[in-house]
Amino acid sequence: MADERETLIEQVMGAHRARDRDGRVLADPAWYDLDEDTRAQVFEDTLVLRRLEAALDPDGLSTTARAVLARITARP
Amino acid sequence: MSDEGELQAIAAGDSEAFGRWVSRAESRLRLSVRSFARVVDVEVVLQETLLRAWQVAPRVQDDGRPEPLLRLAIRIARNLAIDEARRSRRVPVATDVIDALREDTAAVHDPDPGLRDAIAACRDRLPRQPKAALSARLDAAGGRDDRSLAESLGMRLNTFLQNFGRARKLLLECLRSRGIDPDLELS
Repeated sequence: MADERETLIEQVMGAHRARDRDGRVLADPAWYDLDEDTRAQVFEDTLVLRRLEAALDPDGLSTTARAVLARITARP
Repeated sequence: MSDEGELQAIAAGDSEAFGRWVSRAESRLRLSVRSFARVVDVEVVLQETLLRAWQVAPRVQDDGRPEPLLRLAIRIARNLAIDEARRSRRVPVATDVIDALREDTAAVHDPDPGLRDAIAACRDRLPRQPKAALSARLDAAGGRDDRSLAESLGMRLNTFLQNFGRARKLLLECLRSRGIDPDLELS
């Protein structure tokens, strides 16, 4: 159970999110399987992770930023 | 570039200028919806907010106060978070939200070059599998799901996620061993 919880947490911390037919960003399915305390902890850990990602990126961009920019630049 | 010049560039469709703005704004936007973290997937709010900020930038008026686009984006993020919370029938108390907005949007500074170097050095010291999982996520930049990334590395999904978690924890441990407190320096 502990392993399963850990993998759910790592999944939610990723920046990939599916979109619906209208292009709306959807919550990660694993997020619904976390209790509220864990969601709060995931928020704090993600805050740090995105700053780590930005620090490792030549343009200072996190994976969230890159995901959004990819959508913007892909538009006709 | 001044706020006004940057806003003009973004409004004119300069995605690189928008990227520079996002690199400064993201943490502050994320912090502005911290109080919703128990009831909404904040990553969704963040990505939708940034997309809308890009869309509305041409209509943002420079009112002479600092960071007009960021102030608007914080309002967008808050409204999106409220909508998402209502959708799941969990709306935080309004006063909590307002307090959080006041407290959580203080300027966040970029990591200094020494910190960047330390993070890069710690990344380079990661064991092979965790390093591969971390690199795969960074390279994919949110554009591919974890199952696809795991397959490209010849890992099962659970193994990939465990390796990613290990990379993250080892990075933080490495920074602490160098006298850096990630909770202070990066949050």
